[in-house]
Amino acid sequence: MRASEDQLRQWMIGGQRGDAANHRALLAALVPLLQAFYRRRMRDAAEDVEDLVQETLIAVHTRRATYDPDRPFGVWLFAIARYKMIDHFRRRRLTCQIEDVEHILIAEGFEESSLARIDVDRLLDTLPAKQAGAIRDTRLDGLSITEAASNSGIGESDVKVSIHRGLKALAARVTSKG
Amino acid sequence: MMDTDTLIRSLSEDVKPVPSHAIGRRITAGLVMGGIVTVVLIGWWLGFRPDFDAAMRGYSFWMKWIYTGMLATGAVVATTQLARPEPVRLRWLWVLAVPVVLLAIIGAIEMMRVPPGDWMAMWLGQSWKQCPWIVLRLSIPIFIGLLWSYRRLAPTRLRLAGAVAGLAAGAIAATLYCLHCPEASAIFVLTWYTLGIALAAAFGALIGPRLLRW
Repeated sequence: MRASEDQLRQWMIGGQRGDAANHRALLAALVPLLQAFYRRRMRDAAEDVEDLVQETLIAVHTRRATYDPDRPFGVWLFAIARYKMIDHFRRRRLTCQIEDVEHILIAEGFEESSLARIDVDRLLDTLPAKQAGAIRDTRLDGLSITEAASNSGIGESDVKVSIHRGLKALAARVTSKG
Repeated sequence: MMDTDTLIRSLSEDVKPVPSHAIGRRITAGLVMGGIVTVVLIGWWLGFRPDFDAAMRGYSFWMKWIYTGMLATGAVVATTQLARPEPVRLRWLWVLAVPVVLLAIIGAIEMMRVPPGDWMAMWLGQSWKQCPWIVLRLSIPIFIGLLWSYRRLAPTRLRLAGAVAGLAAGAIAATLYCLHCPEASAIFVLTWYTLGIALAAAFGALIGPRLLRW
């Protein structure tokens, strides 16, 4: 089973304090994550995956001071992994074919949008159902106010008020977490 | 190629604790080392201005210091932010235009107070030809200091990181150059100091991607 973001973060923080066992557990747990990350993006250069995994582990080790324990660990990790991949392409002067670039771009976008989607869903779940529904309909699914109103069987002004209150509550929540 | 398990074992043998504010410390150390070299260079090569005590009491010295100091502060903050691998928002960098606009206003006021025939002398001063190049050269030790800082950090936007490191080095070099430079007019500083600082930033953007790779 893969370690959760929270577990990885705890190990990382332990490693930053100088706990070798935590650090080792972290690096070991990162191996399958990084293998999956690179395999999905480098189907044509599978033999380089292991190299990149090792390079990334070394970077995680030598640059662990740049991780801020108050921020999500995954974003930090994958920013390093992505940097290593781009650097790898540059170094090899790999002229990838257009289709490959497209694959990379799609995969990048996919990961980011799904991460964002998860975050948004989690935030919306903290709102009352009516507000969350109104925001989802109009801001995420692109419905008009009228469509959203008939969709949820409430009045248009009710939809507007729900969106307004919901966004205000979200903004307050996000900035207070900040 | 080394086996991954062996690699993990050897990396876990040497786990030094990370001090708090590690990034800030590392960047401060690079800046201080570079800055000391720059001050020594100024002392040897250019000499400190003999009227330093009197100048400290005048307004033009402080005008120059506040201008370059504000640019340096903004650039150092951006350098620190870019030391982390995660994407950062740098839209706030437009505030660096504030000291430039303020100095331009001061320059305009100064110009209104003298006859137009003196404007050229005010603008070119005694040292307009050397000033930008001196600032650029004095920025090099500080830039090297920042490159050293970045060696243990994780910048991922190398050109931008190079540019803001160059900007920081240029602005700090200009701040220290005030220890020598007797020029006093705002439009002189606005043009020639800013040009030197901009050259340092451009130089950083140019060589950043090559020197900051990790």
